Amino acid sequence: MQVKAIMQSNVRSVKKGTTLGQLLVSFKDFHSFPVVPVVDSEQVLVGTVHIRSFFEIFQPHNQDLLMRNPLSMISREPTDIFNLDIEAEMGFLIIMADIMDTKVVKIEQSADLRKAYDLMQLHGKTAIPVVDDNKRLVGIVSIFDIVMKIFHEKGLI
Amino acid sequence: MNIILGMGIILVFGLLSGKLAEKVKTPAITAYLLLGIVFGPFALGIISEHIIAVSGTISHIALSLIAFSIGQNFSGKIFRQVGNQVMWISILEAVGAWLITLVGLLFFKVPLYMALIFGAIAAASAPAAIIMVVREYKARGQFVDILMGVVALDDAWGLIIFSLSLAISKAMYLDLSSSIGNVLMGAIIEISGSFLVGGVLGVILSRIGLFLKNQTDLLIWTIGVIFVATGISLHFHFSVLLTSMFLAAVVVNLNNESFKFFDILNHIDWPIYLIFFVLAGASLEIDLLGKIGVIGIVYMIFRIVGKFAGTYLGAHIAKSDDDVKKYLSLGLLPQAGVALGMALIAKEQFPQAGNIIFTTVAATTVVYEIIGPFFVKLALHKTNQIHN
Repeated sequence: MQVKAIMQSNVRSVKKGTTLGQLLVSFKDFHSFPVVPVVDSEQVLVGTVHIRSFFEIFQPHNQDLLMRNPLSMISREPTDIFNLDIEAEMGFLIIMADIMDTKVVKIEQSADLRKAYDLMQLHGKTAIPVVDDNKRLVGIVSIFDIVMKIFHEKGLI
Repeated sequence: MNIILGMGIILVFGLLSGKLAEKVKTPAITAYLLLGIVFGPFALGIISEHIIAVSGTISHIALSLIAFSIGQNFSGKIFRQVGNQVMWISILEAVGAWLITLVGLLFFKVPLYMALIFGAIAAASAPAAIIMVVREYKARGQFVDILMGVVALDDAWGLIIFSLSLAISKAMYLDLSSSIGNVLMGAIIEISGSFLVGGVLGVILSRIGLFLKNQTDLLIWTIGVIFVATGISLHFHFSVLLTSMFLAAVVVNLNNESFKFFDILNHIDWPIYLIFFVLAGASLEIDLLGKIGVIGIVYMIFRIVGKFAGTYLGAHIAKSDDDVKKYLSLGLLPQAGVALGMALIAKEQFPQAGNIIFTTVAATTVVYEIIGPFFVKLALHKTNQIHN
């Protein structure tokens, strides 16, 4: 079975220029912050924003490059989110392009479900964006979608 | 003390010393180095000679992992991301430090093969110390962005310069009477052999990696291929650093999801680096410290001059602001991990001169780690990157 048969097509995505404030308002009623695809003006998937992306706000630009050098690591302590230097204007100054994760794991809509499942296992993800042949975002598929499909086939639901 | 107990003690006390270093705002690498000196044969003697004897193997593993990680910067995407300024400045400040330190040391009658190595080591900087200052003062702005980009790339250029310099130095050292042609031929064989091994294994790592379905298999496969590449390089006397860097460069340019090969190493690499730096400290021959005075001072001064000249030229070509021209090099002075790794390789390759190189770099590393952050702060202050 292909991914497009079970993916969630009604995906809430953001643009590269969406501000942090707009993102927070948009998702404030969600019970937990999901993986949010970031797309360009052509709807091409260019990154994702997830809960850890918020910690990027407090890092200098280009620090992601530095982290490729393992000796850049000062410590592996988690970010102290209770002691951050946050200013109100960050809400409209910071845009998705600043904080998005460009290491995107994605799958084509025509791919087999097993491939999607293997990809999620390999990268330790619970959901991944789905794209068409032109790399445009068309949906999201999660392990839950796959499990539901299997349960449905087995008659559990 | 057996080797396993020794490693256990190094890891436990290494963790404690790293935490202590955090409290006094010092990079963990400096703490590991000092711990090695204190535990080493010249002080408490907890790390005995036969534990130090395995440091060669640990060094090769650690350096191949470091070079592999740094090698992922060699992709078209990264070069486009960092832009013109960072590319020009990072290349020229690394080359500037190499060239001016080399010439400076030759002026003080240091043999050419040693001066080449010292020059190459001068190119490296210490990202951890620089990030620490940037974070502490919550510095932000265009200058910080350029500084971060330059620091990210200069160790990559440094490793290339070091590998090329080492190949030439080795050829000169092994046969001091040999002609320039023979020296160059020896160096070319070493470098092209490294590219061949790294290139072929990079394709294999990337292609077979497509079929792996879980993180454990991916970790085993990635480490396995890195070890095979390092082992083949050692066997044929190629450059371990170049081989690992080229392996990474091939993977990163072949595979859209290449980050998986690098991210997976985050789970296992730090204990290896910890042991590597503690053993580096323990390998330090304290009695040589008194003999390195002039070389150490000359190395430090000419490195600073080289960094400044190279940065200024790079910034001039890239049409950077005056602030970048004048002050960016101040932010590049800290030096630690990569430089020590290079010095350890030199120690292994050149039995006598290598000890002087390693002891000098270890001693100057401690000095640079103390004065370096002060100059980083000065650069950030002068360029108005500290906002409160």
